[in-house]
Formats: sequence, C-alpha cells, structure tokens
Amino acid sequence: ETLKISHVRPQDATVDVELRAFAEAVKTATGGDVELELFPANALGDYTTVQERISVGAVDMAVQPAATAADRRMQISSFPYLAANWEQARNIYGPGGAVRETMAGLFAEQDITMLAAYPVYFGGISLNREAVTPGSTEPNGIKVRVPGIKSFQLTGEALGYIPSPIPFAEAFTAVQTGVVDGVIGSGAEGYYASFRDVTKTYIPANTHFEVWYMIISNESLSGLPDEDQAALKAEAEKFEATRWTVAESDQGANEQKLADLGATIVSLSPEELAAMSAKVRETVWPQVLEDVGADWGQAILDQIAK
Amino acid sequence: MIEVALLAIAVLVILLTLGVPLPYCFGGALMVMYFVGDVTMKGNMLWGFQQLGNPVLLAIPLFVLAGTIMSESGIAASLLRFVSAFIGHIRGGLGVVAAVSCAVIGAISGSGLTGIAAIGPILIPEMEKRGYPREYATALIANSSILGLLIPPSVTMIVYGWVTDTSILACFLATLGPGLLIMVAFSLINLWMARKFPLVLDDKPTMAELAGEATRRGVHALPALLMPIIILGGIYGGIMTPTEAAAVSVIYAVPVGFMIYKGLRWDNFLGAGKEAATAVGAIMMMILFSMILSQMFVLENVPQQIVGAIFAITENKILLLIMINIMLFLVGMVVNDVTAIILIAPLLLPLMNAIGVSPVQFAAIMGVNTAMGGVTPPYASILYLGARIGKVKVTKVIPPAMTLILLGYVPVVFLTSFWPELSLFLPSYFGY
Amino acid sequence: MDRFAKYLLTGLICIVALGQFVQVITRYVLQVPVMGLEETMAYPTLWLYILGSVNASRENTHIRANVLEIFLKTARAHTILAIIGELVSLIVGLWLLTWAWDFTRYSIRTWRESPTLYIPTFYADVALVIGLALMMVFTLYHLVRHVRDLAGEKLA
Ligand code: NA
Ligand code: NA
Repeated sequence: ETLKISHVRPQDATVDVELRAFAEAVKTATGGDVELELFPANALGDYTTVQERISVGAVDMAVQPAATAADRRMQISSFPYLAANWEQARNIYGPGGAVRETMAGLFAEQDITMLAAYPVYFGGISLNREAVTPGSTEPNGIKVRVPGIKSFQLTGEALGYIPSPIPFAEAFTAVQTGVVDGVIGSGAEGYYASFRDVTKTYIPANTHFEVWYMIISNESLSGLPDEDQAALKAEAEKFEATRWTVAESDQGANEQKLADLGATIVSLSPEELAAMSAKVRETVWPQVLEDVGADWGQAILDQIAK
Repeated sequence: MIEVALLAIAVLVILLTLGVPLPYCFGGALMVMYFVGDVTMKGNMLWGFQQLGNPVLLAIPLFVLAGTIMSESGIAASLLRFVSAFIGHIRGGLGVVAAVSCAVIGAISGSGLTGIAAIGPILIPEMEKRGYPREYATALIANSSILGLLIPPSVTMIVYGWVTDTSILACFLATLGPGLLIMVAFSLINLWMARKFPLVLDDKPTMAELAGEATRRGVHALPALLMPIIILGGIYGGIMTPTEAAAVSVIYAVPVGFMIYKGLRWDNFLGAGKEAATAVGAIMMMILFSMILSQMFVLENVPQQIVGAIFAITENKILLLIMINIMLFLVGMVVNDVTAIILIAPLLLPLMNAIGVSPVQFAAIMGVNTAMGGVTPPYASILYLGARIGKVKVTKVIPPAMTLILLGYVPVVFLTSFWPELSLFLPSYFGY
Repeated sequence: MDRFAKYLLTGLICIVALGQFVQVITRYVLQVPVMGLEETMAYPTLWLYILGSVNASRENTHIRANVLEIFLKTARAHTILAIIGELVSLIVGLWLLTWAWDFTRYSIRTWRESPTLYIPTFYADVALVIGLALMMVFTLYHLVRHVRDLAGEKLA
C-alpha cells in the first residue's frame, strides 16, 4: 500500500527530511506493507485544499497547519499568545494537552485521524527594513502582510502594525517591491523558507505557537490491516516525541540562519513580551473567542489555565 | 500509468482537432484518466475550483478589459499617432510605426490581441494607401500584436508564474528582452521589405515642423502614455501588486476613454465588459479542467516519468533544447498560448531543472514560443483576427506572415534558448 | 438576453476592479487595514468566470482549435463536424456536471466559511454546477440547431 503524503515546505527542508526518515521507519515497521510517497511544497494544493481532500479520501495524509474553513473552531490551534514558552507549549499542544485533544476531536468530525502533533516554532515578525520600537505596541506605521486569518490580522493590529491581507502567491513580491514592509503570521523557519531574501529584521515576538498535525484520512487508515495501523500510529508517536526534543533548538538554528544572511535578530525583554501578550489577550482574545463560540473556547482556556 | 497519460493526451489532441471547445477536450482527457487509468475524480472539482479562486488569476480579465477599452476608446489610436510623428515620414517608416506602436500598447495590455484589434483598423488602410500590399500590412501588424504577450504585463506570464510557482514579476522581465529584440527585428525586416513596395511618402518635414507635430501629438497622447507608467511604475515601484495594477489600469482607462478621448460610450463600454468577461470565462473553464488533469498527472508521477523517457533518448542539453523548441512550435500550431503553458510547463519544468535551465529562463522560452503560436497556422487566432480586420483572405496573409516568423521570431526563439542572459539579465538586475 | 448578459458581466467585472482599487487606496493612500475585502471579492470573481463561460456557450464562442475544418470544403461536412463537436461536448459536459453536483453536495454538507467574515463558500461553489448546467442547455440548443441545418439541407 502506498500512501500519498503532502506537506507545505520545499524538498530538503527540515520537515521533508524528517518525513523521509519517518517513511523509512514506517516501511520497516510494517515489513514493507506501507510505503509513503512524499509530495512537498504544496504540490497537491495549499493546506486548506489538502485538508478537504483528505477529508473526502482523495489524498491520504499530510503534515500541515489546521485549516479553519470547514470548522472555525479550529482557530483554537493558532490562538495568539496562548503559550509563553516551550514548556507551556508542550503542555498545551503535546500529548494529552488541551488544544491537542480538542483538535483531534475536531479532525475526527471531518473523517480525519490525527496521528501526531508537529511543533514548529513560536511566531514572529519579519521586516524588509529596520524595526521601529519593536518592543512597544504603539502604532508604528509599518505595513505588514498577514495571512487571511482573522486572529493574525487582529494580532498584527494590536502590536501596532498596519495589517494588509495580500495573497501568499503575491506576498514575496509585495515585500520585495515595498508594497508592504514585512510579514506577520509565520516564524523564523517559515521566513527562512519563503522570505529569507527580503528579511532584514526578525522580531521574535512569540505571536503564536505554530503547530502542524500529521493527519490521515479515515478511509485510508481503515484500508490498512490492523497491525499496520498500529505500527503506523506507533511510528507517528515516536516521530512526534523526537520532534519535541529538537523543535526548540531547530527554532534557534533558523534564527541563526537568518542572522547569517545578514538579518538583525531583535531581542525582546521578558517584560516587553509580557506587555505584548497582555495587549493581545485583552484586545484580540475576546473577538476570536466570540467567533469560535465563547463558552466552548473559554472552557478550553480554563483547562489550560489550570 | 504513463501509457494512460499519453492516451489521455492523444484523446485531448483528437478532440481539439475535431473542433470541440477546449474545456470539453480537457474533460475528455479526464474521462480517459478516470475510466481507463482508474484515477479518482473525488475531490477534484473542489481542488480545481479552489485554484480558480487564486487572486493572481484575477489580473487576467482585468488586463484583457483594459486592452479592450484601449482599442475602443481611442487611447491606442493616440499612441499610434504619437509614434508615427517621429518615423511616419521615412521610407518604410509606417511599418516600423506598426511594430513600435504594438510594443507601446503591449506595455499596457496583457493580451496578444489588443495591438491588431486597436491599430489594425486604422493602420492597415493607411499603409495600403501609402503603397504597402494590404496582406503584408495585415501580417506585419498581426505579428507585432503578439508583443502584447512579451512586453509586460502579460497574461501568459501570469499563468506561467502561477502554475510553476515562479515570481510573476521576474517572468514579466524575462520576456521583455526577447520582445524588444523581436520589435527591432520586425522593424529591420520591414525596412528591407519596403524597398520593393511602391511607397508614397510625405515631404520630409523640417526639424521645426517635426518638433511641433511631435509635441502636439505628445500632449494629446499624454493621458495614454501615463498608463504604462502607472501600471509598470506601480508594480515595480512597490505601490501595488500586478492584480491591483490591472484593476487600476481599468479604473484609469474608463474615465480617460469616456471623457478625454471620447471613443468610449455607454454601449461599447458594456460591449467591452461583456467581451472581456466572455473571453476570460472561456479561458477559466479550460483552466479548471486542465488543472485537474495536470493534478492527476502529478499524483501519478507522470512528469518524472516523462523526464525519464526523454533522458533515455538523450541527455545532451543542446539537443534537448532544440527538441523542446520544435515540440513547442508544433504545440503552438494547434493550441492557444494559455493552454500550451498550462499543459506543458508543469510537465517540462522538472526536465529544465535537471538540465540547468532556470524557471525564469524557461518562462521566456515558453513565452516566445507560445506567443509565436498565435500566428502559426493552422490554429493562429491572432493572424485570423488580423485577416478579418484587414479584410484579406487567410491564405493571402500566411506567406508574408511566414517570412516574418522565419526571419523575426525563429532566430529570437533560438537566442532565448541558447543565450540565457537575454532573458535573465533584466530579472537579475531587479534582484530576482 | 444579450442586453442582460452585457449588464451582468460588465457589472461583475467592474465590481472586482473596484474592489482591487479600494484595496490599493486603503493601503497606499489611507494606510488603514481593511479586513475581509479580499475574501469577499472571491465571490463575484468566481461568478464572473463561470457566467463568462456560460455566455461563451450561449454565443458559441468557446476557444476551439478547428484544425480539421480547414481541410473540409463543403458546408455539409462543416455541419457534420459541428454536430460531432456538440455531441462530444454534451457527453463530456454531462459527465463533468455529475462531478460538479458531487462537489455541490459536499459544499452543502460541510458548509465551509471564508476566514474572517465567515461568508459560506457555498455561494461561490454553487456557481460551478449552475454554470455547467446552463452550458449544457446551450450546447444542446446548438446541437439541435446544427441537426436542423443538416436536415434542411437534405430536404433542399
Ligand atoms: Na503586455
Ligand atoms: Na498556432
């Protein structure tokens, strides 16, 4: 059985390399029964499309962010300033974590099984210019491209930027020509992958915790013999466990890669980060909570606060 | 699976030949993949439809509409008069005016049809009056009209950038060099051809007369000359994205056409809107199904298999480039520019990567070849439109068109393939 | 009918042009964020494409390569070729229509929403099945017209 697995980064990016190793492990563990065929760089469509194709069983697997089109509650996955450090992130998004368990349930409603969470990075801001008072949340007049996701747009505004929703296909060019001065909504790894030539300043503002999910269509999963299903799940668990041990240093390595290309990495004090977090919690959270269902969302936040 | 893919392509070509509308030709190929190759259609409509929603594609109807408004409103005509103030009076100059005007119009319009549609009705009778054979004048303007696809902005380069995930601005710049070279080639060929025509020339104007006339026409053409500056300056100056620039060009052209050049009236404005929407609707429906077909190819690893099959013949870069140019020439004979790019670019890009041709240079190679396809019979939409506008038989236009293709296009096509700097110089100068 | 098509299509294309224009003005001149404009524009844009294509079917102006037509001399041969073309279009189009219907049912079942304003994407998705259905109606109309031409020729 060959399973087609999509991911969002180019060939030879970190996730691509890790998935090739995962594919080897799965092949060995299933005695050659299950092979994975990788489709890097959104070759099967962007993550929104791929998630829907997985839901109907047209694509088997993917490692990617959660798409919110079919269920706006999935925005809980990229809730801004939910985790402040890696330890908290692991408690929230790692095995048994509140967001992770919630997401597994939401995926199940779309006929999708979540096999693993894939922690990527804390989000930041990339600028094609020098920063203006990067530690403050006062309006700074800098235009940044935001993805068409409400929480990112609101967060950008709350941090003092002018968010401009430019399509991803035009984003690089827009930054390069100066239509906008930077990008928000990704992190060091994402900026290195897609915006490294136009990143002059990187502000690690910890805007959100980026987590992807390894997901598989229920149809594809149930098409496997029980022992292969078990082997696949076990390998996915190991894959995630390994990832949690390297994710933080991977983030540092990507910041270093940006620095090596000449970007200035701004350093923010814990107080500045706390002030940003407070502002976003105060102004953005109520609006996003309203969208996902205030009671439903608050229950998850309460669970995390415990 | 490659056998099924080839069968699907064969069915596609047969349906094309029968004159079936393009969307259903691709639909027929999909049926082959589905019924013979057992490839799923599940979720494919969803996938294809979501591809159409990409805002990058929105630039296409807007640039097409801007082009139609230009030809209806008199904006293009004023550009033509301005260009002819300088070179209209020299021997063979009117032919040079045709090539240069089409290039200037090409800097506003994204389509290959605007030039012939806008200046053909004015310039063909004028050239005939001055002693050019009517079929030659028609062939020259139709061939030059294609500069609309090579001088940015360009619909084909938008599509290429979109399907291959290459910077659209870099693709725009890649075809600019070859486009200008073709303009120069046509001008020179025309000067050489014009020796044999019994041309009627105006008296050579004095320097003062020339300056006065150029100034007068320049002032008149100023609102029109601002358009390329707004579009290209807006894009490369960091004010707007190509899609937004296309919208701005429409928003600018409408009042200029209604109030300054006055060629635009309520009825032909509505007609232009309908024409642009219909032309683009037909393209989009075709893009929808061709995208699904190429996605099926991707799922079944067809591009890699094709590369393997081609490499089995030869791995020599020069031979491969010659083969690809011949293939593109043949493809261009039977399908239109956008179709050729959607069909071929994703299939051949892995091969180009393997032999070290950059995606931006490949954009230029695809660009000049598919543009030339617009004038190579049997399927030569731009040449046929020219014959209709020039009121000459298609069979009469083909011989002079062939001369221009062989002496003008073909050398540039080969230069584009074998001299990378021709297409890469400008993009690299702008940092792509 | 033609008047209606003119107003509808020109109206749609002007709406999308204005939407993009507003985007430039708000960002470059006013420097304020507009949220949701881009995703809203997707709806008239997709309807523009689909209805443009329907109009091409109505006017019978879809792009065709027509290579064979050049080699056929008689009007009768041209009519027969046209009938074959419309028949193939009808068969392929109806097959595509079933998949468009499949997509529409999926769209109703999942009731997806745009990312910031939560406009149901169904209102864009449904254009495809409606458009293909109308295209089939016009294809059938042209088929009948050609068959009548052929029959008329025989009688004459
Ligand atoms: Na152009
Ligand atoms: Na051709």
